[in-house]
Amino acid sequence: MKKKKSEGLYLSDRPPLTPVKVVLLAISYVLLLLYVFIVLWPLAQILITSFNGNQEAYIIIGGSYSFSFKHFRYLFQETYFFNWVLNTIVIAVATALLTLFVVSFTGYAYSRYRFKGRKASLMAIMLIQIIPTFAGITAFYTLHSILSAIMPWFSRQMFLVLIYAGGGIASNTFILKGYIDSISHELDDAARIDGCGNFQVYRLIIMPIVRPMLAIIALWSFIGPFLDYLMPSILLSDPKSYTLATGLYTLITDQYNMHQPVFAAGGLLTALPIIVLFIALQNQLVSGLSSGAVKG
Amino acid sequence: MSYGTTVRDDIGNEHPRKHLRLKERGELELKRLYSEGEEKRAIELELRTQPIDDHPYEQALRTAREEEKAFLAGARERRAACLSSLEDRDPRIREWTCQLQESEARRDFYEPLVDMSYDFELAYQENRVVSKELPIVIALRHELLDELEEAEKDLSLVGKEDQEAALNEFNEYRRKRKAACSEEKKKIRQQHREGLISSKALHNEQKRAERSAEEDILTKKRLLPLPKCRDRVRHIKHRLKVDIDSRWRVIHSDISDIRRKTPIEVKKRHPWLSLLTFPIPGLGQLLIGQRQKAFFFFLGTLFIYLAAIPYSLGVGNYRGKGIAGLISLAKGGARLDRSIIFMIEGVIAVIFLVLAFLILYLSYRDVRSTEKRMIAGIRKHNWFETRMVMRGKGFPYFVSAPAAILTIFIVLLPIAVTCLISFTNYDPTHQSKFSWTGLENYKAIFLGQGMAGGPFWHIMGWTLIWTLAATTLAIFIGFVLALLVNQDRIRGKKFFRTVYLLPWAVPAFITIMFFSIMFSPSGPLTVALNQFLGNTDPSEMLNIKYTTWGTRIVLILLQGWLGSSYVFLLCTGILQGIPNDLYEAARIDGAQGFQQTRYITIPLLLFQTAPLMIGQYTFNFNNFSIIYLFNGGGPFEPSKYGNLAGSSDLLISYIYKLTIQKQYQGIGSAITMIVSLLLIFITWMGFRRTKSFREEKL
Repeated sequence: MKKKKSEGLYLSDRPPLTPVKVVLLAISYVLLLLYVFIVLWPLAQILITSFNGNQEAYIIIGGSYSFSFKHFRYLFQETYFFNWVLNTIVIAVATALLTLFVVSFTGYAYSRYRFKGRKASLMAIMLIQIIPTFAGITAFYTLHSILSAIMPWFSRQMFLVLIYAGGGIASNTFILKGYIDSISHELDDAARIDGCGNFQVYRLIIMPIVRPMLAIIALWSFIGPFLDYLMPSILLSDPKSYTLATGLYTLITDQYNMHQPVFAAGGLLTALPIIVLFIALQNQLVSGLSSGAVKG
Repeated sequence: MSYGTTVRDDIGNEHPRKHLRLKERGELELKRLYSEGEEKRAIELELRTQPIDDHPYEQALRTAREEEKAFLAGARERRAACLSSLEDRDPRIREWTCQLQESEARRDFYEPLVDMSYDFELAYQENRVVSKELPIVIALRHELLDELEEAEKDLSLVGKEDQEAALNEFNEYRRKRKAACSEEKKKIRQQHREGLISSKALHNEQKRAERSAEEDILTKKRLLPLPKCRDRVRHIKHRLKVDIDSRWRVIHSDISDIRRKTPIEVKKRHPWLSLLTFPIPGLGQLLIGQRQKAFFFFLGTLFIYLAAIPYSLGVGNYRGKGIAGLISLAKGGARLDRSIIFMIEGVIAVIFLVLAFLILYLSYRDVRSTEKRMIAGIRKHNWFETRMVMRGKGFPYFVSAPAAILTIFIVLLPIAVTCLISFTNYDPTHQSKFSWTGLENYKAIFLGQGMAGGPFWHIMGWTLIWTLAATTLAIFIGFVLALLVNQDRIRGKKFFRTVYLLPWAVPAFITIMFFSIMFSPSGPLTVALNQFLGNTDPSEMLNIKYTTWGTRIVLILLQGWLGSSYVFLLCTGILQGIPNDLYEAARIDGAQGFQQTRYITIPLLLFQTAPLMIGQYTFNFNNFSIIYLFNGGGPFEPSKYGNLAGSSDLLISYIYKLTIQKQYQGIGSAITMIVSLLLIFITWMGFRRTKSFREEKL
């Protein structure tokens, strides 16, 4: 009885579809699906190529296909892929930790304290962060040779970490400062009345609240070294010390190492964890980016 | 500066002078101000000839000081006597009891001298406070120590049997409590079955029951004899530390309160000490009597005279010659001397000197302000007060120090060096030794002269086209996709969103390299393209990577593909945040779907994403990886670009080629400087319009 009645009735909040709207909707779907194809096709090619045992040094699309792990085997056995992964992860983790350590303090200081030179230095770091890191490439090289003459254990990767962390201080301080600004001062005051010192307020009150933002900053500093090609290509010279970006590049440019499907396999392995990370945390990552809106 | 008849303390109260001679002088000065002629001259004469030391007050003061000295000299003996007479076994209590006795003795000694001088008054007041409050501390420690002893005794008395019996009892309790808990849970399930509570409530209630049982058991467990006694011991030990410390802090802040309210009288009228001790930070503080503070400033002195100055003179350099090396740039030096090292070490020397000067200035200012305050009547800070000030005002500097050091040496230093290199002839023929050439590089760039400067304007032109086209395309695609996906009739939003995220999530270098493979001369996309165009003859084949505009257009499309994800995600976030009321209101006013988009969605979207979109433009301006990884900046077009750059090179990849590959560091640095200044200028203009800047809410 009930069902029958609703057949004749229009029961939606939205106005009924007119033929024009049906057409427009169809066009929307077509466009969207078209772009889905545009996005997925190249990525699918990477995926297919990396598992195609019939591919040789140069990629051919539309050729014969046979499933095999050949390229992955090549990647693990014939290249320094594990070294690259390890290098990248070590650099990324070190960068994230160093950034967190430095920035959590500066963000707190710039948000909560009014000190002499605060505004001037804030302006200065605003402007400095606009200058891209590559501006100092000529100096980095020599600076490293000076540093490693004083401290022989100081490797190029460590220097890379310093460059990444140093380059991120300004923008990350800005992001974190903005976030801490939004935390009520009454919490601090209450803690101070209860006898907390500066460090205790920082550790017991501020840190737990800003943890989400710290996580975002850590994440971005962690991802950074995975994506960068420029700095490692300048600083690192030994193939064993390469990061993923520079290492994989040798697979498609080096005359002797040239093996494009292996590059696809390596790219796939590199991309997968990052894709998972991005899909799982997309909202946080975007909010982290947009709160750093002042960054140039 | 005159002495005046009163002195002012730290909180602004005026106190009459106690130093009679200074008071007389102050009165005379005052009188001189209001007198004329003969009388004035007489006063001035008196001021000038007044005996300096044999004023009766001075003599009295001197005797008092001598007495004080003698009294204080006996302090050590009194202490020794006191310590040996005491029998309390706690060393701290013994120590404090003797301190108390000494304070009482001093209080009684200074009491009759209070009217003579503020120094005596201060000493009296300080000792009074100590002798009043120290007994409380001692009593507290006594009490706590007794408690601790008792608690430890209890702990040692907890026998095995007691513990076991208690443990049995506890196990019994735990069993019962758990049984009660499962009983309760059963009841809840019964209620659920009867339909009284929902399944969510069932879940929550069960959890609550479990948790409360757990908590009860835990409480009981902590009350078992052994943990209980241990907890008590720990608690008392904690109090011994914290409570007593905070008591001491109370004493110290009471003293500093008195110090603030008790003025000081000095004969000095000019802060000359700060000038005299300017070259040696710490000396002034030491002479004033701030020993701990002096120690830290002496560390600064060590840095200045053992590190900064020798380094800038060339001692201890890696290979350079300090400041001198910055000027000479190893000109006429040994064969192995390299100008770039001389330059960098010169810049480091300059940074050290600036730091050294900063320390000198800070110390000077510190001594000067202390001196000035003392002349006005305010006492110098003691260590406790200095520490308090440092904790308050010094904290932000202290915690920002690592960031500052990192920024100075990793960011500022390289930029400064680049800036300096741009004024030299650092090029392939001057790799090891180069020299200052002034503005030559800039001239070459602006006039488009020479090997390296020639293609500058061509590259600049393409960089601008690229920035505008690629970014606008990416923004357009992202925008349209966001609008399309977020129509309310579209199904599968989550799917679209996830797919459109992918170009951003896959590391860009991977996709760029992969596209580079596909567009290579025999690459799959090149083949497909030619099949599509119907070119089968190999000589007629269109090859993207060999044609300037082919490469350029593919680059722009590729960046559109890469950059759209980010814009899409951003816009989606904002679209979801637009309140529905707006649309409802528009619908009531008769707006159609398209009009709603046109007048509500797009303006809001544009307004909110504008700053980030500007960021996208600057990002693409410097998008090195796509240019370099796709075609290495090629194809080459020597007639127009020379053989240093390709026709798809951006300024940044041109800089990379100049400085890293072709060793034209001089010109490369000059271009870097131009690009950086341009970017700073543009961003600055954009930033000035933002809200946070205008509202001064930095």
